[in-house]
Formats: sequence, structure tokens, C-alpha cells
Amino acid sequence: MTTLVIGFLIGCAFGAILYLGGATSYRRILGTLRLKDMWIIKLMGTAIGVGTLGIYLLDLGGLANMSIKPAYIWGVALGGIVFGIGWAVSGFCPGTCVVGVSEGKKDALATLLGGLVGAFLFSLVFPFIEASLFETANFGQITLESVLGVSGIYLAMGLSAGLLGIVFFVLKDKYE
Amino acid sequence: MQDFTTNLTMNGVLMERDYIISWKAAGISLGLLLILATALVKPLGVSTQFVVSDAAVVHKVAPEFAESNAYLSKYGNKTDWGVGYGWMLVLGMFVGGGIASTLLRKRQPEQDKGSMPAMWKQRFGDSMIKRYAAAFGGGALLLFGARLAGGCTSGHMISGVPQLAISSFIFAVTGFGAAILMAKFLYRSSSES
Repeated sequence: MTTLVIGFLIGCAFGAILYLGGATSYRRILGTLRLKDMWIIKLMGTAIGVGTLGIYLLDLGGLANMSIKPAYIWGVALGGIVFGIGWAVSGFCPGTCVVGVSEGKKDALATLLGGLVGAFLFSLVFPFIEASLFETANFGQITLESVLGVSGIYLAMGLSAGLLGIVFFVLKDKYE
Repeated sequence: MQDFTTNLTMNGVLMERDYIISWKAAGISLGLLLILATALVKPLGVSTQFVVSDAAVVHKVAPEFAESNAYLSKYGNKTDWGVGYGWMLVLGMFVGGGIASTLLRKRQPEQDKGSMPAMWKQRFGDSMIKRYAAAFGGGALLLFGARLAGGCTSGHMISGVPQLAISSFIFAVTGFGAAILMAKFLYRSSSES
């Protein structure tokens, strides 16, 4: 029960941040995907930069409840491509369409309904592809830490510094 | 629009901000929220809950089919619909987004309001049907792809990359790569910036 309440409250903050930060804005999303307005990539880069260091600091104290997704290379790569096409076409992603609906955007509602249909279509296809999906080039829950054999905190420090450096000092806000 | 805003700022007449909170504020808050979620329960994720929702409906409408489907039956059953931390998180996103937009709508830039983005209109015309159809089709591709890959922007990019997961690096590169190419294709003949 406590977990449900925590989930709900974290979700509330997540939704509010996405709305306030302009992540439900088509102008911002397509601006970033067209490499003109770097707002979204800067927002995401900052979040990932802060999150990476924080999670691996937690991990040092054994406090990080990690959830590493398995690397079945072809399925993940192909899924990423299909996802990316949908992202550019709709201007939302699965999380921002939920927030878009909450602020009354009807195109976000169309994306949400399309998403429910897309997830259902995947469940129809799944039985036929399950075996080949997870048995081909599936390396399991590997991380940069396990692959490189370098302690995660050092990698996290490097990635965080690199990302935050790029986002704050290298990328301009807008490009023509 | 940007020139217009810049001019106003330069002349010192009035400043029309084209955001509510900056990407820095939003990015840092989101990073901290991710750390909190990882410490308390687990990292953020959204796309699984589309299946959980589908499974709940299908279990209600066509229980036998739901039980027999290898994917839907993983996410909830007749008595337990699989509504847990993850689903409550997405419900929270709806509530939190709704509260924030109700309280701060007047601070939201005009161009970010409504269901017909100006950039879209300029390129594809003012047909709402066309916009909704693209949003619907795009949504279907989004979730089909996310389920194939095992996560979306939240689970793979925002949460997976910070855990240094190889699968999430692959998803971030292919997802952004395909989206950038598709956006370029969609706006290929557009000079608007």
C-alpha cells in the first residue's frame, strides 16, 4: 500500500515537471528532433547527468533499487527505430502524452489511444516472435560496468560530467 | 517568434518568457526525482502500463483470450489486474500534470497551448483530422516500438542510461536516430524555423 502511495506521489511530481518544463510541447519536441531548439535534449541530458551520478552514489551505499533491462540487441534496436518514427510523427512519447491529456490536449489523447492500440497489437504479435526476440543476441542485464569491468561510480562520474558539460557549455539553445 | 521575443527583451519593453520553468530547473528536478524513486522503490517507467491497462480491459471483455495470450497474461489476470507501483505512477502523472496545468496555465506560452501546434499547421495545414490521425498512428508506433524494446523515454532513456544499461544506450541511439531522421523527412520541404 505504501508503495502504491509513493508511486502515485512520484508520478504527480513527474507529471508536473514534464508539464512545467515544456516536455508536452510539440514546438520543443520537434524543435529538438529537427536539431533547431535544443530545449528537450538539454532537459533530458541534465536529468540523466544528475540521475547517473546519484544512482551510482546510492549504489555505493547499497541503496539503489536498480532495474536493468536485458540487452536483446535486435529487438531493442528495432523497437527503438519504430518508437523513434512514432515519436517524430506524434510529437509525444508515452509519458508526455499522458500529461498532455491532463492539460486538455486532444492530439495527446489521440496518441494515448493509439498507444493502447499499439501495445495491444504488440501483444498479438508477441507469441509469434517471443522465441526469436529473446533468444537472438540476448546478452541479458549487462551494463557498461559489467562489460568494461570498471567500477560503476567512475563511469557514472565520467558520463555525468560529460553530459552536463555538453548540455551546459557546448550546445547552444537554438540552431538555424 | 523567437526574433519577436528577443526584440521585446532588447528594447526592454517587456519580457515574454517562452517557458514556465527552464530546462535546467526541469532537468535537475527530474534527475533528483529519479534518484528518489530508485532509492524508495525503483526507477521511472511508463510504457509497460499501457499493456497493464490493455490487459485489464481484455481480462474484463474477453477473459479467455487474455489468459491464452502469452503477453497479456504476464500483466495481470482475472482477479489481480497488475495495478501496482508503475500504474499508480502513471495515474499520478495525469493528476500532477493536471494540477500543474490548472494552477499555472496563464504562465504557459500561448504557442504551447491547444491541440494544433503552429509548426504542424504551417507544414501540414489546419485539418484537425489529419493532426489527430498522425497523433494516433504515431502513438501506435510509439507503444509497439517501446514494448518491442522493453521501455520508452522514461524507462530506457531517463532511467536506463543512468543505470548504465547497455540495452538503454542502444535504445537511446536508435530511438533518437530514427526520430531525427523522421523529423527531417517530415519537414523536408519546410524553410520555417
